[in-house]
Amino acid sequence: MADATTSGPADADREGGRVKAGPRPSGAPFHPPKQRFFSLQSVFEPRTRMILALLGAATLFLLWEVAAHSVPDAREKFFPPVEQVVGELYLLFAQENYIVDVAWSCLRIYLAYILAIGVALPLAVAMGTFANLRATMNPTLSALRYLPAASFIPLLLVWFGPTDTAKIILLFLGVIWFLVAGMLSNVLALSKDLVESALTMGARRRTVVFNVILPATGPHLITTARDLSAVAWTYLVIAEVVGAQSGIGAMMMRAGRFMQVDVIIAGILTIGILGVLTDMGFRLAHRLLFPWEY
Amino acid sequence: MAMQAEIQRPRAGNSRMGPDGAETPTVQVDCVTKQYNDGGFTAVYDVSFDINENEIVAIIGPSGCGKTTLLRQLAGLEHPSYGRIYMQGDVVEAPGPERGMIFQGYTAYPWLTTRHNAEFAMKINGVRPQERHKRALEHLKLVHLEHFENHYPKSLSGGMKQRVAIARALGQDPPVLLMDEPFGALDAQVRWEMEELTVEIEERTHKTIVLVTHDIQEAIYVADRIIFLTRNPGQIKEDIRLEFKDNGRFTKKEDLISHPGYSDTEAKLYRMMREEIDHIREGT
Repeated sequence: MADATTSGPADADREGGRVKAGPRPSGAPFHPPKQRFFSLQSVFEPRTRMILALLGAATLFLLWEVAAHSVPDAREKFFPPVEQVVGELYLLFAQENYIVDVAWSCLRIYLAYILAIGVALPLAVAMGTFANLRATMNPTLSALRYLPAASFIPLLLVWFGPTDTAKIILLFLGVIWFLVAGMLSNVLALSKDLVESALTMGARRRTVVFNVILPATGPHLITTARDLSAVAWTYLVIAEVVGAQSGIGAMMMRAGRFMQVDVIIAGILTIGILGVLTDMGFRLAHRLLFPWEY
Repeated sequence: MAMQAEIQRPRAGNSRMGPDGAETPTVQVDCVTKQYNDGGFTAVYDVSFDINENEIVAIIGPSGCGKTTLLRQLAGLEHPSYGRIYMQGDVVEAPGPERGMIFQGYTAYPWLTTRHNAEFAMKINGVRPQERHKRALEHLKLVHLEHFENHYPKSLSGGMKQRVAIARALGQDPPVLLMDEPFGALDAQVRWEMEELTVEIEERTHKTIVLVTHDIQEAIYVADRIIFLTRNPGQIKEDIRLEFKDNGRFTKKEDLISHPGYSDTEAKLYRMMREEIDHIREGT
């Protein structure tokens, strides 16, 4: 048996065992060669990985800093160094009530994204499960992916004016087709055996969908949602450029009018940080929702 | 277990009697032909056989002989193009809980612990929580997994995952267990353990087992009867009753191998397999 109950050094001590474990093995201790930094398919400790990740980020900021200082003084206004942008970020939060803009942007994005997941997930599961639905809808839905969401801006403005509704719909349109396509391929990648084994246990269609297909594909669906959340963030500024008084994008457009490059870069930095935080949130949710994956 | 007799004899069958007093076979395969591509490819051709209650039947043959196709039709996952399959007298039209199936790929559900996997079939068939918990533990004991009830399949070995699948299939208490090369992905030693476990399960639970395998030794060890299929199209080459077992089964594989009847049967099956391979080489 491969059971873990019968292993370990106790076995070697047993009567009749060929090896009698001594206090010290007779072979000289072997020291394997030190792992090289560029060794093939190496595995690092989480701590080492964290340090390397921080090192990577630090390199980016270092390059930025060096580039900013090598710009001629007369042009420095157009390429501020790191400390100036960070200082501006602090001022924005401390004096300009920037937190309200950030909150508005987050609200729009998360609302649009939750709506998009709410539509894409059932649609993808239904299409992945039933071939007739897939044959009917997928060609059209795939074609919609090629329509740039930004091209809907004039239409949305005519219909809804420069409202939050228009912005949320734009964000929604920016990700929905990609979410459907990604989640559909998750469902189609499901092993047929898992479904068939349920059928041979007497499962009805409903049971197969809710007790097999959903739990089996869930971890992959959430990973797709995590990957594509980045796409939603890329549409944020486009959405908020259009007649917005609030939000990170609106703040950046205002700054653009006065050529406040440091404020614009502070906005870009904010979006980047929020994107990374969203990604981490998804990772945490994945871990909590699907403990069997870890 | 250690002091068990060399051969176990199944107790007398208690299956349903037909109108003429003869036993109704548990499974009847009646003139089944399976074609694909609108008749362009014939996977199984005009196959008929009966399987009686408590029998272990192995279906073997060269690769591509349609043995898995045949088993999937017994499960109701595919349908014959011609002919009928009967389960306890009723025509098989769809999968059902009275025909449990073990697949070659691991089908233990990764999102359920061993215990919840073992309860799954009972849960979807409406067995009450207390009852299914109790029975799941019995089935896990039967497959020697009682100490792993809270493990997820990810932390189990391949053989253990297959044992989870077996315990789960036993949950609904199916009279028939269909096994599609269930140990094909396992290494030789685990495979051997699983073969012995299969015999043990039949002895304890009195299932009728249909085992598809390409392993000649496995077929001889586990089965009471071997149905040998030819290749392309799959037809019955020979229905071999393992007479040397004398209506019994071996609990230990070494007892089987040292039995004089074993090597004759093995040699015969290898000769049959070679005939089929030569057929393919000659392109006939």
